Amino acid sequence: ENSPAPLPERAIYGFALFLGSWFGFILYLIWAYIPETWLFSLGLTYWPQKYWAVALPVYLLVAVGIGYILLFGINMMSTAPLNSIHTITDNFAKKQQQKKFQEEAIPALRDIPISEVNRMFFLPEK
Amino acid sequence: MAEERRFRSASGVPIALRRRQHSASCRELAVRGPRLQLRSLSAATSAVWLAAYGLFAVSENSMVLSAAIFITLIGLIIYLHFVKIDQESLLVIGSLGIQVTSSYASGKESTTFIEMGQVKDVVINEAIHMQKVIYYLCILLRDPEDPQRVSEVVPLFQSSKPRLDCLIEVYKSCQEILEQRKTAPQSS
Repeated sequence: ENSPAPLPERAIYGFALFLGSWFGFILYLIWAYIPETWLFSLGLTYWPQKYWAVALPVYLLVAVGIGYILLFGINMMSTAPLNSIHTITDNFAKKQQQKKFQEEAIPALRDIPISEVNRMFFLPEK
Repeated sequence: MAEERRFRSASGVPIALRRRQHSASCRELAVRGPRLQLRSLSAATSAVWLAAYGLFAVSENSMVLSAAIFITLIGLIIYLHFVKIDQESLLVIGSLGIQVTSSYASGKESTTFIEMGQVKDVVINEAIHMQKVIYYLCILLRDPEDPQRVSEVVPLFQSSKPRLDCLIEVYKSCQEILEQRKTAPQSS
């Protein structure tokens, strides 16, 4: 029921959004460019200051630029420091169950403690 | 007996590892970084003084020059005393504990001792550090209530950051001593 295939209803929604966005854009251009006196003579007096026609796009672009730096900074802040216990283990590994070892069966998946991993990697096999 | 081998740090700087065996259960491993180079010192000093001279030429205020001299002197003293670590050493005594010493360029030494009862293991861990993944040696401390749990991680060789080949040497030396405590008679 949730396929992304094109349906007639979706085509209608898409066309309505297309017309709506074109209407919004033409309205924005009219508000930004047509002088206030002409708008007043038409009777349209209660529109926002034209200052915002320039300010809002600038705010948006600066926010996008800051967003890049902010995301980078948030990532760096949430990285665990080198002396944190989270680089070694976490709550799930502490509470895991130990299944009994069965002959000729694939061993159960578990989190191997770091001491064991180190011994396997770095100490030569005797 | 002492031996010294050359390695590289994580950023490519040459470092030297010195291993000394004092007795069957006591080993000292020291990692020494490069000394403060004269060319980097003169480059930094000239940059600060040129900038100060440029400011003086613009503002005609001679305090800028004396301020620059002060800043250079005090900055150099602070750097040598608090930042530049010349040698980091690890002294492992089998039945007693592990002592970690950092020697600064000004001669200051800062020491930490961890007794053997608290040490669970010495392992090589990998973690993300400043857009890189590095290997670093760390001491795992035991939890007093639950001997199987790790309560704290103490990273070692933080300023010289040796690469994996040097860390494997240090790891093998430490493990030889730590294994002796399993075969030795247990004491409460």
